[in-house]
Amino acid sequence: MIAPRENEDVWIHSVCDMCFAACGILAHRKDGVLVKIEGDPNCPASEGHLCAKGQAALIGLYDPSRVKAPLRRTNPQKGIGVDPKWEEISWETALDILTDKLAKVRDKDQRGLLISNFDHIAATYFIGGAWAVAFGTPNHHWTGYYCGNYLHSSMYLTNGSFHSDFDLDYCNYAILLGNQQGFMGGLNANVAARKMAEARKRGMRVVVVDPVGTNAAAKADEWVPIRPGTDGAFILSLIHVLVNELECYDREFLTHRTNAAYLVREDGSYLKEGRDGKPLVWDLKSQGAVPFDQADIETALEGSFVAGGEKCQTAFQVIKEQVKRYTPEQVAPITTIPADAIRRIAKEFGAAARIGSTIMIDGKPLPYRPVAVNIYRGAGAHKHGTHTALAVQMLNMVVGAFYVPGGHRGVNLVGPSRSWMPGETVEGLVTPPATIGRAARYYDFEDKRPEGMELHELFPISTNRSPMNQLNLQDPKMFGLPYTIDVLMVCRRNLMMNNVNPAIMAETIKKVPFVVTFSTHLDEVAELADLVLPEAHFLERLDFMPNTLTHTMSPATGHFYWGLRQPIVEPRGQARRWIDVLFEIAERMGFLGEFYGLLNVKWGMKEPYKLDPAKRYTMEEMYDRWMKSLFGPERGLDWFKENGYHKVARAIEEKYPGPFIKPRFPIYFENMLRAKKSVAKVASEMGREWDTEDYQVFPEWKPCPAYKDGTPPYDLYVVNFKIPFHALSVTTQNPWLDDLAEHNPYAYKILINTETGGRKGIKDGEEIWVESVAGKVKGEAKLTECIHPEVVGIAGVFGSWAKGKPVAKGKGVHFNTLLPISLERIDPVSTGVDSCIRVKVSRAA
Amino acid sequence: MVIDLKRCIGCYGCQLSCKAEHGTPPGVFFARLLKQEEGHYPTVRQLFLPVLCFHCDEPACVEVCPTGASSKAPDGIVDIDPDECVGCRACMMACPYSQRYFLDEQRHYFPGNGATPYEQARSERHPSGVVMKCNFCRHRISVGKEPACVANCPAVARHFGDLDDPTSTVSRLIKERGGYTLHPELGTGPAVYYLPA
Repeated sequence: MIAPRENEDVWIHSVCDMCFAACGILAHRKDGVLVKIEGDPNCPASEGHLCAKGQAALIGLYDPSRVKAPLRRTNPQKGIGVDPKWEEISWETALDILTDKLAKVRDKDQRGLLISNFDHIAATYFIGGAWAVAFGTPNHHWTGYYCGNYLHSSMYLTNGSFHSDFDLDYCNYAILLGNQQGFMGGLNANVAARKMAEARKRGMRVVVVDPVGTNAAAKADEWVPIRPGTDGAFILSLIHVLVNELECYDREFLTHRTNAAYLVREDGSYLKEGRDGKPLVWDLKSQGAVPFDQADIETALEGSFVAGGEKCQTAFQVIKEQVKRYTPEQVAPITTIPADAIRRIAKEFGAAARIGSTIMIDGKPLPYRPVAVNIYRGAGAHKHGTHTALAVQMLNMVVGAFYVPGGHRGVNLVGPSRSWMPGETVEGLVTPPATIGRAARYYDFEDKRPEGMELHELFPISTNRSPMNQLNLQDPKMFGLPYTIDVLMVCRRNLMMNNVNPAIMAETIKKVPFVVTFSTHLDEVAELADLVLPEAHFLERLDFMPNTLTHTMSPATGHFYWGLRQPIVEPRGQARRWIDVLFEIAERMGFLGEFYGLLNVKWGMKEPYKLDPAKRYTMEEMYDRWMKSLFGPERGLDWFKENGYHKVARAIEEKYPGPFIKPRFPIYFENMLRAKKSVAKVASEMGREWDTEDYQVFPEWKPCPAYKDGTPPYDLYVVNFKIPFHALSVTTQNPWLDDLAEHNPYAYKILINTETGGRKGIKDGEEIWVESVAGKVKGEAKLTECIHPEVVGIAGVFGSWAKGKPVAKGKGVHFNTLLPISLERIDPVSTGVDSCIRVKVSRAA
Repeated sequence: MVIDLKRCIGCYGCQLSCKAEHGTPPGVFFARLLKQEEGHYPTVRQLFLPVLCFHCDEPACVEVCPTGASSKAPDGIVDIDPDECVGCRACMMACPYSQRYFLDEQRHYFPGNGATPYEQARSERHPSGVVMKCNFCRHRISVGKEPACVANCPAVARHFGDLDDPTSTVSRLIKERGGYTLHPELGTGPAVYYLPA
C-alpha cells in the first residue's frame, strides 16, 4: 500500500482522529518516517490549523507500548491488577478462536453478541445496519455513559439535527451553558475557535454559565458560576423575565414557525380537527378554531378560548403561565445566581436579539437574531437533563434565534443541493431528514417489548442508551431479556475508564464468557479480555468520509465536504484495522455476501458500482466504488488520495434553513404525552413499575439526586470538566499531551475553592481524598478562585491504571470512579447518567 | 511577532505545534502558555500569556556569551550555534525572560525504549551539552513559511512580520491596538509584542 522510498519527502492528505471533529491534516513523511502533522488548508474543518491533540498524534504513532501481535489470555483469573499472562498467537489462531466463539453465539442466539465501540467510521458506515444486521445482533452501539444522551435527542426533537451549534459569524450575545464551544471544544473545534476569536474581537458578548472557571470562562465577558444541576431553573427564569416581565418575544416566529399558537386542551393534548386531523389555532378574524395551516387567517398567539364547547388555550399561553414559577427571586437560591444578574442577563439577551430586524445576506433578506444559548454536556449531564436541553431550545425559540443569522442552529437539516430535507409530521412539525433514520423521529411509537440490551422502546425519545447495556449486563434479571451476552467485542472504546465506576464495571465484564478487544494498547479493557487483537493507529488507516455529513459537520465550515483518511505509514507489527477484520470474520462465517448487500443499501450504491455479493473486494476497491457512485468516475480513490478533500460551498439556504423550510419547530412537546403512554404500555408488558413523570409537554426544572443529597459529611458537589488538549481517555497515553498536562495548573489536580479548602484545612498542593457513596479517589489539591465554593472539579478522563499505558498510568484523577449507576441516577427520558454527585474531601496525610 | 491576547483562547496549540516542529526533548517547550488567576471568586478569571524567546534588540544573552555562539542576525533573530556553544549557561542566567534551555543529555519521550524514529529524525537539531531556544523557526521562514506557532494558531492570535516596516501588519496592529512588550524596563527591547485582551 505504502512504499516509502529513500530520500522521499512528501506531504500526504489525511484526517485526524484525536477527537470527533475529524480535521483535515497534511502529514509530512520523510524517508519513511512521519516527521510532522499540520492542518490541511484545503479542509474546511481545519483550514490549516490544528489543536494540540492533532499536533501530538504523531508521537503516539511511535509509542513502543502499542500492541503488536494478537494475544491470548492464559490466566483464567480476571480482575483489575490481575496479570492476564498473555501468550502471543498468530492472527490465524486468533481468528480461529474468535470465529469459533461467534459461530457458537450465532447458533445459540445471535443477540448474544454485544459490540462496544466509539469508532465513528465503523459505527456510521459498517456496523449499524450492515455487519451487525448480517450477523443478527441488535446490540452494537455501546458508547460512553456520557455520550450526548440528552443532547442529541433534544436536538433531534427541536432542531431536527444531531447537534447544538450557533452562528458565530453574526452572533452578538452568546450564553454558553456548561460547554466551551469556540474554546477548542465540541463541534468543529478549530473552525469554532477562529470564529469565536473573530466574534469576540468584533464585540460579541460571551456569558459562560458553569460551576468551573474554564478556558471559556477565562475569555468570557462574564463568568456566572452556577450550582451544578440547576441550569434548567436559570434558563426557565430567563424565559419568564423575557415573556412575562419584559414582554420581549418574537411573535412572528412563535406564531408562524413554531407550534406556540396551537390550541391545547386542559389535558395538554392538541385540539384537533376531527379525530386524526390537524391541530387547530384560533383565528382572530373569524373568531373560531381553524386548522393551523389554513390560508388567510390571523392567528392568535396568546389567549384562552372555547372551541367546540371545549376550553382551550394556546400552547404559548401555557408556557407563559408555567414559567411564572421561575421568578429570579425563586431561582436565585436554587442556582446561587443573584436575582438581579438573572434579570440583567435576560434583558441583555432580549435586547441583543433585535427582534423584528432583518439582514441582507447574498441578496436575501433574512431574520436577524444575533443571540444564542448553547448547551452541551455539562449542563445536561444530570437526571432530568432532557428538560434542561428542551428549556434551552425554548429560550432560543422565544426570541426567534433559530436557524437564522446570529442564532442557534443544528448541523444538517438541509443537505448539499437540498439532497436531503427535514421531514414533517401531520402536525406540521420538523423531523430529522430521512438520512438520519427512523430512530430519531419522536412522534409515533412502537409499543413493543424491547429486544435489544438498550431497551429502546422503553426510552423512545433518545439516541443511544448506553447505560442500559451496563445495567443489563450487571443484572440480566433486571429487565429479563430472553438471552444473555456471550461475547463482548470492544474496539476504540475504553469501557473501564469511560463507564460509570470501574469496580462495578470490572465485575460486569467478568460476567461475559468471552471478551475480545481490538486495542492499540494493553489498556484497562484488555486487562479483562480473553483475546487482544492489535488495532491500527489512525495514521495507519484507510477511512473514507470521517467527517460525518449528517452528524458532526457544522455550517460554520461554510461547506459540505468529503475527506479521506489514508495511511501515512504501514501498520506497526501485525496491527490491522478492525473493520478489515470484520470483513474477514464475515467471510469465514459465511455472511460476507449479505454484508455486501447491506452495504450497497447503506451506502446508497448505484450501478455499476454496487458490490456483487458473489465477488470479493479489497477495502480500496470498495471505497473506490463508493466514491465513484457518489461523485462519478473521475472522483475515485486515486483522486481523493491526491487531493484530499472534495467540497461544496453551502448555499445560504443550507446555512440558515429556518426561513426556507416549511415544517415548524416544536416549542411545546405534545408528543411527550404519546411517548408517556407508549412507555407505560411497554413497561406494563414487561411487568414493571416505571417512572414516566418526565414525559411532559413543558420542561421543568427538577432537582437531580445530588441537589438533595447534601447531608454531612457529603457537603460538596463533584463535577468534571474539559481541558482543551485532551479528549476522552485515549489521548492520555500520548507523552506530549502528558507533558502539557504536567505544565497545566489544573489538568491532573483536584480543584477546590480557596476558601472552601481553607475551611477544611487543606493546603494547595497536598494530597487529598475525594469520596462519594460509590468510590473514592486521591489526588493533589489545587486551591483555586476559579470554581464554585460548593464544588470540587476534576478534569478529563485521567487516572489510568493499566500497566500497558505507562505514560498515562497514575497520572491525574479518575472522575468516573466517584459515580454510582442505578435507574434512580439516570435521566428517565434519555438514559444519560447523572454526572454530579455529593462528596466529602479530606486530607490524605 | 505580535500576539493578540484578545483572540488567544489558551488552547496550547502554540506550545504543541512548536514541540512538533522542533522535536524538543521532554519537558522543553520553546513556546509556552502561562496561566495565572486574577481576582477573587466570583470576579476572577484565568489569564493566558503565551511566551517564547522575545528576540530582543539588545539581547542580554548575546552580551554574556563567551564564545559568540549566541548571536543576533541582521534579520533580528537571536540564535545559538550549537557548534560554538560550550554549555556554560551564562546566557540562561542573563535572559530575564527564562527562554533558554540546557540539554544535559539526550532524553526521549518513552523512557527505556530509546528514541522513536521521529525523535531520531529530529535529534540532529538538539545535540547534548548545549543551550537551546526558539529561533522563530528559521528553517520555515527561510522558505517563506510562518513560524509554526503562528501558522498553526487556531484562533489566529499570532502575526509575524517586519517590525521595521511601518506598513507591515505587525507594525499596524501594534499602533492601532496599543501593542506592548513585557517588562520594557529591563531594557532589552523585546521584538514580541502583545495586544491587550
